[in-house]
Amino acid sequence: MKNATPAATRTRLRHLLPLFTGQKQAFVLGFLLLAATNASAAAIPYMMKLATEALMHQEGLTRHILTLLALAVANAFFRIQSRTRIFGMGRDVEFALRQRYHAQLLTLDAPFFDQEKTGDLAARAAADVSAVRMFVGPGFLQISNVLMAYVATLPVMVGLDPLLTLYALAPIPLVLGLSRLLTRRMYRLSRVVADRFGHLSGFIQESIAGIAAIHAHAREADWNARFTAETNELSQAAIRHARMQSLFGPMVLLAGASGGFIILAYGGQEVASGRLTMGDFVAFSGYLAMLIWPTVGFGWILTVMQRGLAALDRISMVLDAQPFLPPAIAAAPAAPQRWNGAIAIRNLSFAFRPDRPVLQEITLDIPPGALIGLAGRIGSGKSALLQLLARLYPAPPDTLFIDGREISTLPEAELRRELTMVPQESFLFSAPLLRNLQLDRPGADQEAVQEAIRLAAFDDEVRHFPKGLETLIGERGITLSGGQRQRAALARALVGAPTILLLDDVFSHVDARTEERILHNLRAAHRLRTVVMVCHRIAALKQADRIYLLDQGRIVASGTHETLLADSPLYRDLNTTMSRAEALEALAQ
Amino acid sequence: MMPAVQADTEETRYGAFLDARLMMRFLGYARPHRRWIALAMLLPPLSALSQVAQPMVIQLAVDRHLVTGNLDGFYGLLAALAALVIFQFISGYFQSMINAMLGQRVISDLRQELFAHLLTLDAAFYAKNPSGSLTNRVANDAEAISQMVSAGLINLFADLLLLIAIAIGMVALSPRLSLVVLVLMPLVILVAFQVTRRMRTIQRQGTLLQARMTARLTEESEGRDVMRLFHQQQTAMARFDQLNRDHRANADKSNFLEALQFSFVEAASTGVVAVLFWYGATLMSEGTLTIGILTAFIDAVRRLFFPIRDLAGKFTTMQSAMSALERVFTLIDTPPAIADPPAASALTPREPPQGAIRFAGVQFGYGAETVLSGIDLTIAPGERIAVVGPTGAGKSTLIKLLNRTCEPQQGVITIDGVPVNRMPLARLRRLAGVARQETVLFSGTIAENIGLFDPAISRARIEWAARETGALDFIQSLPDGLESRLGERGNNLSAGQRQLLGMTRIFALDPPILVLDEATSSVDAVSERLIQAALERLMTGRTAVIIAHRLSTIRHVDRIVVLAKGRIVEIGTHAELLERHGLFATLHALQFQEEKTEPVTTH
Repeated sequence: MKNATPAATRTRLRHLLPLFTGQKQAFVLGFLLLAATNASAAAIPYMMKLATEALMHQEGLTRHILTLLALAVANAFFRIQSRTRIFGMGRDVEFALRQRYHAQLLTLDAPFFDQEKTGDLAARAAADVSAVRMFVGPGFLQISNVLMAYVATLPVMVGLDPLLTLYALAPIPLVLGLSRLLTRRMYRLSRVVADRFGHLSGFIQESIAGIAAIHAHAREADWNARFTAETNELSQAAIRHARMQSLFGPMVLLAGASGGFIILAYGGQEVASGRLTMGDFVAFSGYLAMLIWPTVGFGWILTVMQRGLAALDRISMVLDAQPFLPPAIAAAPAAPQRWNGAIAIRNLSFAFRPDRPVLQEITLDIPPGALIGLAGRIGSGKSALLQLLARLYPAPPDTLFIDGREISTLPEAELRRELTMVPQESFLFSAPLLRNLQLDRPGADQEAVQEAIRLAAFDDEVRHFPKGLETLIGERGITLSGGQRQRAALARALVGAPTILLLDDVFSHVDARTEERILHNLRAAHRLRTVVMVCHRIAALKQADRIYLLDQGRIVASGTHETLLADSPLYRDLNTTMSRAEALEALAQ
Repeated sequence: MMPAVQADTEETRYGAFLDARLMMRFLGYARPHRRWIALAMLLPPLSALSQVAQPMVIQLAVDRHLVTGNLDGFYGLLAALAALVIFQFISGYFQSMINAMLGQRVISDLRQELFAHLLTLDAAFYAKNPSGSLTNRVANDAEAISQMVSAGLINLFADLLLLIAIAIGMVALSPRLSLVVLVLMPLVILVAFQVTRRMRTIQRQGTLLQARMTARLTEESEGRDVMRLFHQQQTAMARFDQLNRDHRANADKSNFLEALQFSFVEAASTGVVAVLFWYGATLMSEGTLTIGILTAFIDAVRRLFFPIRDLAGKFTTMQSAMSALERVFTLIDTPPAIADPPAASALTPREPPQGAIRFAGVQFGYGAETVLSGIDLTIAPGERIAVVGPTGAGKSTLIKLLNRTCEPQQGVITIDGVPVNRMPLARLRRLAGVARQETVLFSGTIAENIGLFDPAISRARIEWAARETGALDFIQSLPDGLESRLGERGNNLSAGQRQLLGMTRIFALDPPILVLDEATSSVDAVSERLIQAALERLMTGRTAVIIAHRLSTIRHVDRIVVLAKGRIVEIGTHAELLERHGLFATLHALQFQEEKTEPVTTH
């Protein structure tokens, strides 16, 4: 909140303000309920006083008792109502903001994610969105309370004795300042404690993971010493935090007591000299007591709001990011007719980062129905080419055409129906296998899934899974081997019956014979026309209709396996390396 | 796709509010700190006294000076008030600090015991217990117990004492009014505790829903390519929104219960006071009660509600601490299956070590499944042995038996004539240095990983070891050389580099016996040559037992042991075994053919 001009603050709040517009009435109602809560709470001690007096005079007691009971119930009612409503508003904002944040993440694409850590993005949806909520619910509550407390008491106090008011309120700025200081430190130190705790957990986890090495080399004694050092660090951080926390409560009491002291020291003399009545003196002490807690709460809430603003800034960074795909293309309806599967690339150059070209002047034509291999060393640009074909990254204008249409103009829904890619890393969701293969796609019925599993040569193994297709995959379920994951990912792609299929080195954990079977199946697959595959196995490349050999982002040769072996020294070199790797693989079997 | 919210898991289940057996055992850990505890118990009454004294001083000032207008002695009272205020501040601070410090000290002791115990447990234990839950024991469970100490255990006793004191005072004031309170109070307490309990359940569900949203977001971000390639945004939105809505609804319940908890005790205390007024009026009309006693009694009742509200808040802290204690003690009570021999029967290994190894009639199995049987093998000092055989033959188990990672069911294993199970474990494991297939790396620098954080291994020795294996070349190419920090589990190193580091570690530790499980993973040609050279140097002057996967290794050993189905089927030199045309010859033809015909190429 430092150096914030109103306009700058408005800009910072631009994602928050729209969420409030429909809530004006709720705010007013919340404020009124809060006022009623405070009024009924203040009336209870007064009623007790009246009841005591009634008891002494032996009359009207029943009426007072009933009023007291009614007040107690009313206070409870108002308190519950005001708190649930005001906190509810905060929850509404939290809900809406989280929903927007998530929706935005879904529209953002690979270039954005490359710059962010997954953990950070998830943390923002949790911690940062909650921090913004605190801004709204508790923030509103505390500010209303402090406002009410001062509005109710200050005029009366000034009316009684302006000078005494000034003296009695002297500790208030100190209370506010200390409250701000301590809460800020407490938050900072609590982060340190959380950090240290994370370190300790990490150390324990790592030690358990490496217990074999610790045992094998008899390192237990030193490990215990390291653990002690870690726990000491945590303890020290916790104690530093406790120091601030331990100051907080006594500080509040001290503030209240010192106000009382001032009232007695100065007001006492006034009473003694007759300039102030006894009743005024007592009232002053009472009013001061009413101001202390809201003031402390105000200091706390300023800190919370500061954190909320910082959190909002982090969320805004995501909300303001732009995907490369225009919303019109993302939302456009898919044309019903299926594709032919012809790919044309014209003079395509591409870089993930401006200073590092990944692809340079690629030009090639892939006829419908072809099986194309992409070969080359690691980092030669093979995967990048597939990622551009799959529109995970934007291809420069006028470079990439499918069936004669420029890729950037194809409606998202149509592109994803007709073309798919199996990425290098076979990512599966922690969900049942069937759900992983079907996803939410039209026409992905059990039959299509069974057929896809067969094509991916995965059917034998699935049959042996504990619950077949309903077997849970991932952390809570069974762990699939690398080869099984790759075939599951391939089957998932085939369930949608695409026209064009891009494979990014998806047979690396599949043995040679299975790979051959899969390639054979793919050739015979219904619907599937064009396959472009990156692969590191000679056997697979031999089957390709044409192989493009890439080196440092350029196509340096093309042809069939035989012609390349004859013509390209680089391909011959690759052939030797790959053959050797395949032999080693066979050895491990 | 998602199972319904399950709030009740092993980690979150609550125990009893107070379990005497667990508590007594836990108090054992508090004993060394009993002076601090005594101080912590002493401070609350003192600070309460200073709080009570303040209005009394003010009252005195009002009566003696303000009303009379005589200010003689007024400043003395002011000074007394100031002293009380300052004392209250100081005692409040120390009270809270001592609690926090006690929480930290007691838990540090317990944590260290727990961790040290964990290190003594054997491989079989680790195979059964997931690492996540073990980490939770030492980290989170210990934290829950620490919470109990710092946030309340002592205050809880103080609260209970206060309750008792107030109750005694009330009975002394008026037994009949006390009866009213005795009837009403349990009702209030019961409801307050119920609301608190319900609230915690709801809050836990909220935490779980939050965790589930985070998990979904993480999964969506990690699988973003899949999300996009298969156009799954709509579904993802619907699923997440459902969770978000559930979370929102849950928050409403939680808000309501929180407000209810606070308001109920307030309203109940006013209600009880109202009843006392009414009943008190009846008693007064009978002449058995004075107005003074009634006001004093009402004051006492209002004080009674503070500790009760406090207790309700402590309820769940105590419950989760109790179940944490239960789990922690269970772990501490798990005896290690493989431990040092009792001091009386312990033997020290021969000095200086020769490195003679003997397996005599060794048998080992998991349950009904026999892994090794009838193993008789004598290895001379300085001899180099390769163990080969098909997968599952029991090769790795042989190594595990040698350094007592497993215990044989039958037979004896000796080093220099001393049975391995009679030696202190640390001595044995320093004698036989085992390098496993996968080099375990810890977060830290390369140097720390080579010396395994042993302060006794000098920097010069680490550098020497790295030079011996040839690992120093790639280490020096890293930005900080030996001081370079490894990424998570060394994921920034290649497979070959990791193997080299594992071998460098053995050089640095310098055990008289080398036990090595060769990695099967293929490495680039340069690393391959380095690894072979390092291995040869490592074997020099040591007894070596190597599970071999490479032809060159097999060529450089004195004898080869062929294992099949848990038995030694062939034993002899390379040439002898090839001539025998047995299993070794077959394996040899099958596995090493490629390596023979393909010359190793360099890039």
